[in-house]
Amino acid sequence: MALPEIISGQVWTLGPHVNTDLLHPPSHFTPDEKKMREGIEEGILRLGGKVKKEGPEVGWIIVAGENFGCGSSRETSARGLLAFGVKGVVAYSFARIFMRSLINLGIPVFECREIQEHVRNGEMIRILMREGWIETQDSKRFSFSEMDLHFKKILEVGGLLHYLRRERHGL
Amino acid sequence: MVQGITGKIIQDHADGRKEGAYLSVKVDFILLHDPTFALILPELKASGEEIWDRTKVLLTVDHFAPPSSTERANMVKEVLSFAVGKKLPHLSIYQGICHQLLVEGPWLKPGQLILGADSHTVTGGALGCLATGLGSTDILYSLITGKTWLRPPEVVRINFRGNLPPYLMGKDIILDLLGRYGEGGFLYQAMEFFDTDEAISMDDRFAICNMVVEGGAKNGLFMPDRVTEEFLIERDNGLNSSFQRFDEELTYSKKIEMDLSQLKPKIALPHSPAKVVDVEEVDGEPIDTIFIGSCTGGRLRDIEVVSTLLKGRKIAQGVNLLVCPASQKIYLQAIEKDYLTTLIEAGGVVLNPSCGPCGGIDKGILAKDERCLSTSNRNFQGRMGDPSSKVFLSSPLTAAASALTGRIVDPREVM
Repeated sequence: MALPEIISGQVWTLGPHVNTDLLHPPSHFTPDEKKMREGIEEGILRLGGKVKKEGPEVGWIIVAGENFGCGSSRETSARGLLAFGVKGVVAYSFARIFMRSLINLGIPVFECREIQEHVRNGEMIRILMREGWIETQDSKRFSFSEMDLHFKKILEVGGLLHYLRRERHGL
Repeated sequence: MVQGITGKIIQDHADGRKEGAYLSVKVDFILLHDPTFALILPELKASGEEIWDRTKVLLTVDHFAPPSSTERANMVKEVLSFAVGKKLPHLSIYQGICHQLLVEGPWLKPGQLILGADSHTVTGGALGCLATGLGSTDILYSLITGKTWLRPPEVVRINFRGNLPPYLMGKDIILDLLGRYGEGGFLYQAMEFFDTDEAISMDDRFAICNMVVEGGAKNGLFMPDRVTEEFLIERDNGLNSSFQRFDEELTYSKKIEMDLSQLKPKIALPHSPAKVVDVEEVDGEPIDTIFIGSCTGGRLRDIEVVSTLLKGRKIAQGVNLLVCPASQKIYLQAIEKDYLTTLIEAGGVVLNPSCGPCGGIDKGILAKDERCLSTSNRNFQGRMGDPSSKVFLSSPLTAAASALTGRIVDPREVM
């Protein structure tokens, strides 16, 4: 699973300072992937239920505000998003542990400060890696900050465990 | 050029590899607890790899302590069977909250680089080390390699001056900073505290460092001083109490000056630790439950001030006062000093040391519309129970004062 040139998906918008307790309530902590997904469904309800619980086949792209994923380090929030079909996350800014967890699981993250006001839940957007911009359904383009080389290297091999394997065994 | 003590620690631990802005650094110690370790246990086993140095890992069972459901019991069982099988030398079962156990043990010293599979690992920075939390997968990488990748952050220097008045605690200080700079106010940054007049006790320093993550900070640390030295001497019975000093010129991106004597008791309103006002502004707000505990507010000094304030008094009828010492050691000390007798006689209930109500795990989960005043670190919606419950965060002193009437009270009114 390498980093694709183009990531497309349906938009799920979230506001500023969405914390991991809201996104994946601590009462739903579990090592079971299916139940982790249910935790995200509960999170969606608590966040106002603006997206359908059944994900689109193309997958989701989250567009969030400032400090996305603040709070607890419980990786069930990031793992739950992966199980829910989230393929990429765009935010004004990220909380550091959450951002690292997304990348470690192979979910690309993009810092973009302009797009938030210009997308709606459910519309299709595309992230063009080489061009360095995100294209909305009505063809508006928003550039994202250049991804750090370290994160790129982790994402190119599909996550931190693959990165580790390569580092230790050259696989 | 790197900034602050944090930058220096990263530099001192670098192994020479660099990717983008990130340096590969050696890790001195890793903290694990039951749920976040349970997540990576299958992956660790499947990898066929071993923990790089078992003597540098503390594994605690503190969240599901003891477990309150069969799913949790099975997680704990898996974790323990691994730990016993691998003969992990530092294993702590139901002994208290990992962040307290980490600083009670003989491991942490100024200048070290510490990781934990929990965001509140930042607590350890009170001892002058770089202590930071990471997600489970990051921790798995570090357990196997003894390393991690860190970016030297911008560092903010916070100078405290003056004495801490008796109605204030470390919690008021950090709440004030969070209120002024916001939930993302220190995003990606490190916060370094200089207690110029050595006015802040170690327990208060732990509370301050514990909540730097609520401002988005990577870590927070106190410049090691005489308070640090005295703590280390007492902790280690005078053995190996020498530690790294940071005497050289340090660079910072920003400086904040704080006069402690001018501060008022602070409180965070639902549902954000940065939604902070003076306690007097919400005087009289009704409260159903008071929680004294967690890795922020369950230490000996916290229990001591609550007990001193409630001695010979009764809490208001209908109010639940839950007291949860942060560790068995604190529990025993509080028994010895009669604090717990005082609290029980005042109408409180003592819970066994664990994370408990703070993360809505067990014992004291909040009901629909229930209003709680907690000495913990997070009041995010639904964290402690029903999504309609409301949590306020304050110092143990403000919490104790409020227990007397069942309404939020500025501690200066009852001291």
